Amino acid sequence: MTDRRVVITACSAISPIGHGRDKIVESLQKGVSGVKTLREDELIGRFIHSRVYGTVSDPIEYDFKRQHRKTMGPVAYYACQVAEEVLEQSGLPNEFVTGGRLGIAFGSIHGSPTVQRDIYKIFLGAKDKETYQKIGAVDYLKSMVHTTAVNISKMFGITGRIISSGTACTTSSQSIGFGYEAVKYGLQDAMLCGGADEYDTITVAVFDNLLACSTAFNDQPEKTPRPFDRARDGLVVAEGAGAVMLEEYEFAKKRGAPILGEVIGFACNSNGGDLILPNLEGITKTLQLGLENAEISASEVDLISAHATATKMGDIIEAQAIGTVFGSNPHVVALKSYMGHTMAACGVIETILTLYMMQENFIAPTINLEDIDERCAMVRHVQKLIEHPVTTAAIQNFAFGGVNTSLLIRKLT
Amino acid sequence: MTRQDIENEVRDIFLREFEVENPELDVNLREAYGFDSIDAIDLLLEIEKFLGSELTRDEKKQAMDIRTMRQIIDYIEMLAEKRHAAQG
Repeated sequence: MTDRRVVITACSAISPIGHGRDKIVESLQKGVSGVKTLREDELIGRFIHSRVYGTVSDPIEYDFKRQHRKTMGPVAYYACQVAEEVLEQSGLPNEFVTGGRLGIAFGSIHGSPTVQRDIYKIFLGAKDKETYQKIGAVDYLKSMVHTTAVNISKMFGITGRIISSGTACTTSSQSIGFGYEAVKYGLQDAMLCGGADEYDTITVAVFDNLLACSTAFNDQPEKTPRPFDRARDGLVVAEGAGAVMLEEYEFAKKRGAPILGEVIGFACNSNGGDLILPNLEGITKTLQLGLENAEISASEVDLISAHATATKMGDIIEAQAIGTVFGSNPHVVALKSYMGHTMAACGVIETILTLYMMQENFIAPTINLEDIDERCAMVRHVQKLIEHPVTTAAIQNFAFGGVNTSLLIRKLT
Repeated sequence: MTRQDIENEVRDIFLREFEVENPELDVNLREAYGFDSIDAIDLLLEIEKFLGSELTRDEKKQAMDIRTMRQIIDYIEMLAEKRHAAQG
């Protein structure tokens, strides 16, 4: 079978800078930050040095039936909401959705920490059988690492394959990449792909202990993170969710589906070494493999959505890798500057924001990038909103554990 | 404990735990109200609380064929009588 073309026919995101296209585009164009003060959690929050968090502020009106709600923690609410919006937007008929040719690739970094926390409280306080029985039959279903994917499958009756990567910051870029491969090689005709993570202070504590979190802007949350800026002092943990519908091109065209863009390439590799430190060789290789997979040259890429978490070393290594592979031609934007690091959702949210920029012919600037670190200066940073067509974009993400991904998308002309 | 007491309690459980108001006595609960395997496990826990005693594994297995409200009431009535007889 010849490789099939794969297009994106719907997308939706819940993010710290808005839920849905209009609000997100407005935030990007006005340079609005979604970073707020860290909420108190009555547990470990008071010990955390970093007091900032990329927060979903707008209330979401969920309309899920009880038989679905009972197996959902907060992360699954996010996931099912964006999945519902994407299914509706795609216009795929119900018989296709449930027919087995639509699969799901969706994940989170560790299921629902809110539910896990409640389980631990019971474990630690268990003194008798009655306490033990408070652990509900559904607690595992709410908290397990593939809770997002299976709750989506249950809610919408989707019967195709399930892929649920849980590779930290590359979770949803892998979802899109593995979904792309499933459609490209004919294993499925469409894949609903994405990732989600809920508000969680434990993740902040983990990065805080590794000295990777921003602490210098606790009194001015919107001033951090500061990717590529000389004053950057670490990442900001965030919450959010995003989903895209991938479809085989001819199938989408035949049914008159709206085509938002085409996925033209994907690469994923591992550093094969240190699980924390950024790795120039590994990342450089990922970007090269992405171009090879897409069968395009570096000069064809006109926008790069950098992973750029605003850690000291991570940004330098990434800028060097971009400089080596792409030179200084493509514009580079660090979308985490708007909302922090949405963890499992970052790859898909950054893909969606890139699609919006493609459609609206603008490139959002990296906010808080006021004084470019000279060690990151070899690439073409965007510091002011520009009207500019985007035809081909690379979205790159790198995860704890040494996992790297590169996605390439193109506007269909 | 009368059969009516049991029925009232089961209706309370269905409303409180499963958001089902006044379920009919003889309809298939799965088909009519989306009552599934997870609900069945939760229902057994509620029955234990109601009876004030733990169900044995065999008693739980007996519940696997239950499909209707009437069967649930029959089941609890049987358990209550068994416990009453054991106490007497």
